[in-house]
Amino acid sequence: MAKKALDGIRVIDLTVWFQGPVSAQYLADFGADVIKVERPQGGDQGRGVRSIKSLEVGDWNQYFLVINRNKKSIAIDLKKPEGQEILYRLVEKSDVFLSNLAPEMLNGWGLSYEKLSSINPSLIYATNTGYGRFGGVSKPSFDMTVQALTGAMARLGEPGQPPIYLGMGSGDAYGGIMSALGILLALYQRKRTGQGQSLDASLYGAQLYLAAPYLQSFLAGHPEAALQHSRKEVENPLWNLYPTAGKWVYLCEKNEDVRFAALCRALKADDLGKDSRFATAEGRRRHNEALIEVIEAHTLKFDHGSLMAALQAEDLIASPINNLADVIKDEQAWQNRYFMKAYCEEVQREVEVRGLPVTLSKTPGEINSLGPQLGQDTEILMMELLGYEWEEIEALKAKGAIP
Amino acid sequence: MSRALEDVIVLDLTRQFCSALSSAFLADFGARVIRLDLLPFAAPPQTETPPGWNHEADLIHRNKESLALEPRSERGQALLRELLAKADVIVTDWQRDELAALGLDYAKVAAQRGDIIYGRLSGFGPVGPDADLPAIDELAAARTGMMPILQQPGQPPVYTGAGAMHAAVMLAFGVVTALTHRLDSGEGQEVDVSLFGANMYGAALDLQAFLAIGKGERLLNPISRLDVSNPMSGAMYPSADGRWVTLTMPDTDRWWPVFSAMMGIASDDPRFDTHDKRTEINRLALIQELERAFQKQSGAYWRQAFMDNQMSADVIEQFDYPANDPQVKANRYILELEHPSHGKIKTLGFPIFMSASPARLEKLAPALGQHSAQVLSEVLGYSEDAIYQLTSAGVVA
Repeated sequence: MAKKALDGIRVIDLTVWFQGPVSAQYLADFGADVIKVERPQGGDQGRGVRSIKSLEVGDWNQYFLVINRNKKSIAIDLKKPEGQEILYRLVEKSDVFLSNLAPEMLNGWGLSYEKLSSINPSLIYATNTGYGRFGGVSKPSFDMTVQALTGAMARLGEPGQPPIYLGMGSGDAYGGIMSALGILLALYQRKRTGQGQSLDASLYGAQLYLAAPYLQSFLAGHPEAALQHSRKEVENPLWNLYPTAGKWVYLCEKNEDVRFAALCRALKADDLGKDSRFATAEGRRRHNEALIEVIEAHTLKFDHGSLMAALQAEDLIASPINNLADVIKDEQAWQNRYFMKAYCEEVQREVEVRGLPVTLSKTPGEINSLGPQLGQDTEILMMELLGYEWEEIEALKAKGAIP
Repeated sequence: MSRALEDVIVLDLTRQFCSALSSAFLADFGARVIRLDLLPFAAPPQTETPPGWNHEADLIHRNKESLALEPRSERGQALLRELLAKADVIVTDWQRDELAALGLDYAKVAAQRGDIIYGRLSGFGPVGPDADLPAIDELAAARTGMMPILQQPGQPPVYTGAGAMHAAVMLAFGVVTALTHRLDSGEGQEVDVSLFGANMYGAALDLQAFLAIGKGERLLNPISRLDVSNPMSGAMYPSADGRWVTLTMPDTDRWWPVFSAMMGIASDDPRFDTHDKRTEINRLALIQELERAFQKQSGAYWRQAFMDNQMSADVIEQFDYPANDPQVKANRYILELEHPSHGKIKTLGFPIFMSASPARLEKLAPALGQHSAQVLSEVLGYSEDAIYQLTSAGVVA
C-alpha cells in the first residue's frame, strides 16, 4: 500500500450530518485512522437521509456513505458511564478528538476538553460549533440558517429577486475543510512540540471567511458590496455572462481595446466596433449597460457551441455555463481524480463518487472503502486496540453500553 | 507564545486574491511568509487607485514580509537559489511556463530541494487536457454544473465566488498536510488545488446526488423557492416588511408542535400531522400556509420568535449584521483595530480558534520591498555591506 500523509494519526470522530463528518473524511482520505463513534440506536442522523431535493438518494445512501468513507464505526452509548469509559480508553490511544455535537451535550457526557486532556495531555480536541466557542449563542445550526446571518446570501441574485442560497451544504463543506485545516495546524505543532490543545472552527466563522472579498469591502466602508448587482450593470462588459440560444456563456476578458476588437470580430458585430461610445475602455465602462444590451443581442443569435467556436477562433477566454450532466462527463474532472470510482458494499458494485479536491503528488489521498455499517468495528476495536477481554465486552453489552 | 507554523518559511509568489489569502492563512498561524515582489516593477496601472485604505492588500498580505528582487540577472538568480535553500514552502498561482522561465518550476526547485512543499493554485488541476488553462474562477465555476441551478426559474445563472474561497483554504490544508508528512519522512512534494476542483467541492452534495441518481431535471434546472422538498428545511419566505426568513428543521416531527403554534396552524391539523404529510403528500399546501403566515409579521418579530424557541431558523441579513454582531467579535471573526494611517478599522479576523497557538495579527500588508534588508540579514545572514551592494546593483530594492 502506498504511504499516506497522515499515516499513524488516529482520530475519534464523534460527528453527525455533514460538516463534522466531512472534516474527518479529509483526514481519512489522507491516511488517518478515523474511528467514527455513533449512538447504538440509529447512529449518525445522516444515515437516515432519504432524499435530496425530493429525489430519492438512489439505491445506496450516497449522502452518508461518501462523507464517511475510509472510516471505521464503533457504536457506544455515551449516556452510560460504562460507555464513557470505553471512550476514555479510546482517547488514550488517539491523537485527535473531533465533534460537532453541542458543547453542553459533550460536557454532560463527561467529554469536555478538561476531562479528555487530563486523560491524554497531548490530545487535540476539535469542535465544530454553529456560532463559535465564545459569546454564548448555542442554538441548533445548519448551513442555510448560518448563511442567512453572514450576509452572503443577500448579495446574490438579480436586484429585487429572492436571496440565493450558495448551494446545498456548501457552507457546511467550507466549515468542514476549515476544521480539517485547524486540526492539521494543531497536529503539525504537536509533532514538533508534543503539545496538544483545543480548537474550534464554527460554521459562522468559516462562512464569514467564505464571504471575504465582499465582506472586507463592506467593512472598509463600501456598503454597495452588500447589495445585489445585476449582470446588466457590470462595470466591465467583457467580463460577464451572456445568453445564447442554448446555454449561457461566461466571457472573461479584460476591458482592453484589442480584446474588444477581437470580440467584435467573433460576434461579427460591425455596429459594435464602429460605435464611438465603446471605442475606449473608459467609454465601455461608462456605457456599460448599453454595451451589455448590444452584446447580448448578438450572442442570442448563436447557440452556445457556435459562440464558443467563434470566441475561441479569436483566442477569447470563455466557457459555456454547464449543468451537472455535463460536469460528470468532464474528462478534466476524472483525470484529476475530482471524481473517482469506489466499491459499494451496499449495492455490491462500483459506484461513482466525489473524489479528492486536494492533489498531493507523493502521498495522494485514496478511497479504500465507503462509509461503514453502524458499529461494524465495535468488538474488534475494543479487543485489538483497547485490550478488552471478551468477558468484559459481554458485560458491557448486557449493560447496554454497546449494542 | 508558540505558533503552529513558527518554524516554517514560505515564499509567496501570488497574484490572485485567493492564493494570496491562502498564504496569509499560513502567516496568521505563525509561518514567516516572504512575498517576492519581482523587479523591475510594472508601471502603475492607468486607472487611478481609489483613495483611502487599501483594505484588500491589508487582508491578503497581512503578517507577510516583502522582498523586492530582480530575478533575471545572475546575482538575482543566485539570491533566489539561496532563498530556496532556506524555504520550506512555495505558494504560487503562476502559470507553469512563467515559473519555468525563472527556474521556479517544480522540477527545477525539487532538484535543488527535495524536501520543498510546492503549493500551486491552478485553474483545472495538474493533469488533463485543460491543465494549462488560466486560473480564472468564473471559468471554473461555469463548468461545475452549479451555476444554472442556484437562481430562481427565469433568472440568469449565478456566480457566487465561493469556489475561489474554497481553493484558498484547501491550498493551505494541502500545504500543512504535506508539511506534516515531511516531519516524519523528510520528503517534500507538489500540492495542487484547482479552482475547478474547489468549485466542484462546494457543490459536493448536489454533484454526488447527481452522480448517484443520474436522472432528473430537478438537479439540472432552477427550483422555485415555492417548490422546495421540505417546507420546513431549505425554504425561504418573505415577511411583512419584505425581509426574507429561512428555515432548516429537517426533522419536522421534532419541531412541529412548537412551530405550528407559532404559525397559527393547529398542531393536530390532519393535513400536516405526520412528517410524510408535511414533506410529501401535502407539501404544497403547507408551503402556501407558511407563505401566508410569515407575511403577517416583520423580520424582527420572526427573529425573536426563532430565538425564543431556539429554532434553527433565521432572517436573511446583509453584512451589517455580522459586522456588528457581538458573537462575531467575541470569537475574533472580525477584528477592530487602530490602523496607523486610517484610524479605527474593521477587518476580517480568524476563522479558526486555537487554545494554545491562536492566530495573531502582527503586521499589516507590507510596502513593496519593505523587508528586503531584514530578510537578507535574518534569513540569509548577509552583512550590511553585502546588502548595500545588492541594493546599489539593483538586485534588490
